[in-house]
Amino acid sequence: MIKAIFYKEWLKTSRTFMVCLVLGLAVAIYADLGINRIVVNKGVDHVWLIMLMKDQMFIDALRYVPLLIGLAIGVSQMAPEMSNKRLKLTLHLPISSEKLVGLMLLTGLVELTMIYCSIIATVFCYESTILPHELVCRGVLTALPWFFAGYIAYLFATSVCLEGTWRERILLSLIGIGVLTVMFMQDAPEAYNSMIVAVILVMIAIIALTYRSVYRFKEGRQ
Amino acid sequence: MEPVISVKNLTQRYGTGRLIYKDLSFDVPQGHILGLLGKNGTGKTTTINILMGYLKPQSGQCKIFGRDITTMDAATRSRIALLIEGHVQYAFMTIEQIERFYAKFYPRWNREAYYELMRKLHVSPRQRIQSMSCGQRSQVALGLILAQNADLLVLDDFSLGLDPGYRRLFVEYLRDFVKSEDKTVFMTSHIIQDMERLIDDVIVLDYGKILTQQPVKQLMDTFHCYQFDTKTENIDSDADLLNPSVVRGHGEVFSFKDADEVKNRLQGQGVEVTNFTTIPMSLEDAFIGLTGKY
Repeated sequence: MIKAIFYKEWLKTSRTFMVCLVLGLAVAIYADLGINRIVVNKGVDHVWLIMLMKDQMFIDALRYVPLLIGLAIGVSQMAPEMSNKRLKLTLHLPISSEKLVGLMLLTGLVELTMIYCSIIATVFCYESTILPHELVCRGVLTALPWFFAGYIAYLFATSVCLEGTWRERILLSLIGIGVLTVMFMQDAPEAYNSMIVAVILVMIAIIALTYRSVYRFKEGRQ
Repeated sequence: MEPVISVKNLTQRYGTGRLIYKDLSFDVPQGHILGLLGKNGTGKTTTINILMGYLKPQSGQCKIFGRDITTMDAATRSRIALLIEGHVQYAFMTIEQIERFYAKFYPRWNREAYYELMRKLHVSPRQRIQSMSCGQRSQVALGLILAQNADLLVLDDFSLGLDPGYRRLFVEYLRDFVKSEDKTVFMTSHIIQDMERLIDDVIVLDYGKILTQQPVKQLMDTFHCYQFDTKTENIDSDADLLNPSVVRGHGEVFSFKDADEVKNRLQGQGVEVTNFTTIPMSLEDAFIGLTGKY
């Protein structure tokens, strides 16, 4: 049964997954090429200097990519469930609705993690060949909130898509926009280091919104 | 024996507004096929949504296989095959993929029954459901319902989009399947002539109430259509003279009373009738007689 749920979710998201993976890798390679261009023209010590003195991490191109990928995976996974109220079929499957929703979210989160890990590996594996460990870590920590924002965007997209009424959809969207705005307010590298635990807790709390949307659907608020 | 579906005093409204029905009660015994008939907006799909746990009723209790539907567990759901209004299915899957998907959930899955119906479709097993015609999609949905081999089939407007030949085939297949395997069916349909071939018991809903609830045979034996000639232009409707009409001197009335009693009731209203005859009816005629044409 669990495999069958993963199979269904994969069938819905596979195309979007591939497009997002290619997009993410393309942007990651673009960021690598940007750094490489400076290395070729001005030497690697110039890259170090700018990173340390001017707080530039050369990964700005990535900033909104995880967010867009999170939204795309969330919508591609959950919109088909709400088209013609297909969620009724899913909720009729002989499996508890809590487990079912959990497996659906797990599929999306695993797909996101695969894409995000590919992006991080592409950018930071290259950086680790020219930069010291400390600067690579600084880059990862700078980019980490953007990836968390991607997970949050995914979770909000699922809760909005599975919500049955427009009033609640708009409300959830506004809350989502508010939370995501906070994630992009600081530009400085490692600005969110002290908030990482809080961000993870917020992510876990947002999962409850998806369950809430499903419970509301089951109560007939469609 | 406990009925497969038991509904007691169900009351439901659209939001906080119009009453859909009040104190709706019915049982569906095992092995019976019950048809829920009614005009648009009388609450057929609402009843199915409540029974399947997609809508919280305002009041009342529904049980399926003895379990309250508000606490229906996965094991009970696995005994119920559900056809959603519009024959909605996972349209992003192909004929093969959807069969593989559902087979994992139902231990009594009958792959052969599904592919037997799919062979009649003349489509490739790798064709996506979303690229099929409305009728073909309906046939896939019905094939999945039969393959599930469930104890209870809940079919919302099962004949939607089906061509006449396939409708007839499905009705015959379903009746044979249900009777030979002692299955129970709760169904709605807009095409009442299909129901006539299929159902044992009927509930006719009107806006806010049940008009009748009885075995089809009993309804057809006790409910009559009378036609007559008259010079009167208007006949008052009452509990025994249902949906009377007069068009160009030709009158029609429906009633559970016998011909003499109806004639007397008409004469009691001062309606002079001639050529008074009882007309044979189909279930569709009876439905119109109970609910009216408009």
